[in-house]
Amino acid sequence: MDIRTAVPNRHRRSLWHKIILNWQLYLFLLPAFAYVVLFQIAPLYGLQIAFRDYRIAFGISGSKWVGLKHFNNFFNSFYFTRLFVNTFALNFLGLFFYSIVPVLLAITLNSIINERAKRIIQTIIYIPHFISSVVLAGVIYIFFSPENGIVNKFIVLFGGKSIHFMLKAECFRPLYIGSTLWQNAGWDSILYIAALTSIDVSLYEAATIDGATRLQKVRYIELPAVVPIFTMMLILSCGRLLGSDTEKILLLQTAGNSEVSDVFGTYIYKFGIEKSQFSYTTAIGLVLNSISFVMILIVNSITKRMNGTQLF
Amino acid sequence: MENHKSKKLELLLRSDRIYHGCVVALWVVILFLIIYPLYLVLIASVSDPDAVYKGEIMFLPKNISWMGYEAVFKFGEMWNSYLNSIFYTVLGTMLSIAVTMMAAYAISRKFPGKWFFNFIFVLVMFFSGGLIPTFLILRDLGLYNTRAVMIINGCLSVWNLMIARTYIQNTMPEEIFEAAQIDGASHVMYFICILLPTCTTIIAVLAVYYGVGKWNDYFTGLVYLRDRKLLPLQTLLREILATLQVSNNDFAMIMDDYANQANAIRTAQVAKYCIIVVSTGPAVLLYVLMQKYFVKGVMIGSIKG
Repeated sequence: MDIRTAVPNRHRRSLWHKIILNWQLYLFLLPAFAYVVLFQIAPLYGLQIAFRDYRIAFGISGSKWVGLKHFNNFFNSFYFTRLFVNTFALNFLGLFFYSIVPVLLAITLNSIINERAKRIIQTIIYIPHFISSVVLAGVIYIFFSPENGIVNKFIVLFGGKSIHFMLKAECFRPLYIGSTLWQNAGWDSILYIAALTSIDVSLYEAATIDGATRLQKVRYIELPAVVPIFTMMLILSCGRLLGSDTEKILLLQTAGNSEVSDVFGTYIYKFGIEKSQFSYTTAIGLVLNSISFVMILIVNSITKRMNGTQLF
Repeated sequence: MENHKSKKLELLLRSDRIYHGCVVALWVVILFLIIYPLYLVLIASVSDPDAVYKGEIMFLPKNISWMGYEAVFKFGEMWNSYLNSIFYTVLGTMLSIAVTMMAAYAISRKFPGKWFFNFIFVLVMFFSGGLIPTFLILRDLGLYNTRAVMIINGCLSVWNLMIARTYIQNTMPEEIFEAAQIDGASHVMYFICILLPTCTTIIAVLAVYYGVGKWNDYFTGLVYLRDRKLLPLQTLLREILATLQVSNNDFAMIMDDYANQANAIRTAQVAKYCIIVVSTGPAVLLYVLMQKYFVKGVMIGSIKG
C-alpha cells in the first residue's frame, strides 16, 4: 500500500485505538456518570412538569400542558415577595457574618503565643461542625425555652422579663445566623489557619527588627495572605445567595416566626412534598434555579474582568 | 521554635501586650460560648429531673441520677434507627469514596471524550432540577421508601470530585504512571496498587466530608422514607424534638415500655438531654480521637481544591 494513503488511515484508527487503550477509564467513570444522569440530569428532564398539570396517572411526559399558569399563580401570590425578601435577607446577612468571622478567628488564633493552647483551641473550635442541625435545633429550643431555658433564667436573674424567643419573628434571624456561626465558623477558619501557618517566619522576624507592632504585622503580613482565599470564598457564596440552608430553617420554623422564616426551600418542601402540589412547586424551583444560575454567571464575569480568576 | 522565640520578643512592646491581652480575653469568651452549651447538656443529662425542670442546673450537676439514660436505653425505636444510621453511614461513605476516587482518577488522565464528562459534571454543579423533580424521578425509579435511597442519594458531590482530582494531579507525578505502564500495569492495577495506597490523605478527607454529611442528614429520610423501621437516627430525633416544642407529655408517650406516665413525664425532662448525648457523643468522640489524622488533610485538600 502507498504510504501516503496509509498515514491518514492510521490517524483515523488511532482515535479508536486511544479509546480502546483507555477502556478502563470509561469503566471508572461509569458509576459517577450513571449517578449524575439518574439523580441529576433526569430531574432536569422532569422540570417540564412546571409547564404541565402533573397527575401521577399520566406521568411526567403525559400530563396536560398548561403553559405559564403555575408561574403566574406564584408571581401573583403574596408569597412571592415574602419568599424573595426573606431568602435574600437571610443569605445576605449570613454571607456577611459567615465570611468575616472565620477570618477573625484565624487571625486572632494565630496571635496566640502558647503553641499547646493553640492546638487545643483548634481541636475545640471544630467540634460544633460535627453536631447535626437536628440536635442543634433541639438544643436551641431547650435553651431558649420561655419556662426553664437557661437563657431566660439569666435574663430573669438580671431583672429582665422572660422572652418566648422561638415565637418572636424578630428573634429568628439572629438565632439562625448565630447558631450557624456557632456550628460552622470554626470549621470554615481551617482554610485561613492553613494559609497563615504557611507564612514564612522570616517575614515576621524582619518586621520585628523593623519595630512593627503585632497589629501592624496583622495588617501588612497576615491580611494579604488571607485576602485571595477570602475573595474566592466570597465569590463562591455569592452564587448561593438564594439557595439557603432549607433543612435547618425548617427545624427552627414555628408558627410565630414564619413571616420571616418562610424561604423558597421551606415553601417548596411544604407545598410540594407535604401537600403534593408538584407542578406549582417545580415552577417555583425553576424560578429560583434560574436566578441563581444567572447570578453565578454575573459574578463569574465580574471577577474575570477584575483579576482574571474565574470559576469555570 | 524560632517562631516561638520571635513571638516572645514581641511582648516587649507595650501595645503588643495590650493586643495579646485582648486576644486572650476574646478567646476565653469564644471558648466559653462553644463549650458551655455542650457542657450544660452533659451535666443536665445526669442530673435530677426536678432540678432540670426548675432550671437550677447552671454550672454543676445536681443529685446525680442515671434515670434519663435508663429510659433512653429502653427506647427500642431509637436503637433501631441508631443501627440504621450506622448502616447508611458506613455503606454510603464507602460507596461515595469508591465512586469519587474512581471518577477523580479517570478525569485526572487524558483520554478521548474527557471534555464531555467534565462538562456534565460542571453543569450539574451549577444547575439542578430541584427537590420536586428529583423526588418524582427517584419515586419513578422505585427508590421511594427503600434503604437504597439512603445509601445512594448524594453519593457523588461534584465539589469533592474536583478536590480529589486536583489532589491526584498535584501529588502523583506522571513518571510513576509511566513507570507502572512500562511494567505492564493497566489503569485498574495502577489505581489499586499505587494510587489508592498513596492517596490515603485525600481518602480520609473524603471520608470525613461524606461521613459527617450522611450521619447528620435528616432531610433525605424525611422526604423519601415512610416506613418508621427504616428511619435514620436524625429523622427520628427531629420527630422527638418536634414534640418537645409542644409539651413533655407527648414526649413521654413516645417512649415505649414505660408504664408509669407520671414518672415518664418526669423522666422526659432529662431524657431529652440523654438522647442528645447518646446521638452526638460518638461522632464528636471519633472526631477528637481522629482529628490529628485528617485536619491536616482537610487543609491540604481545601487549599489545592
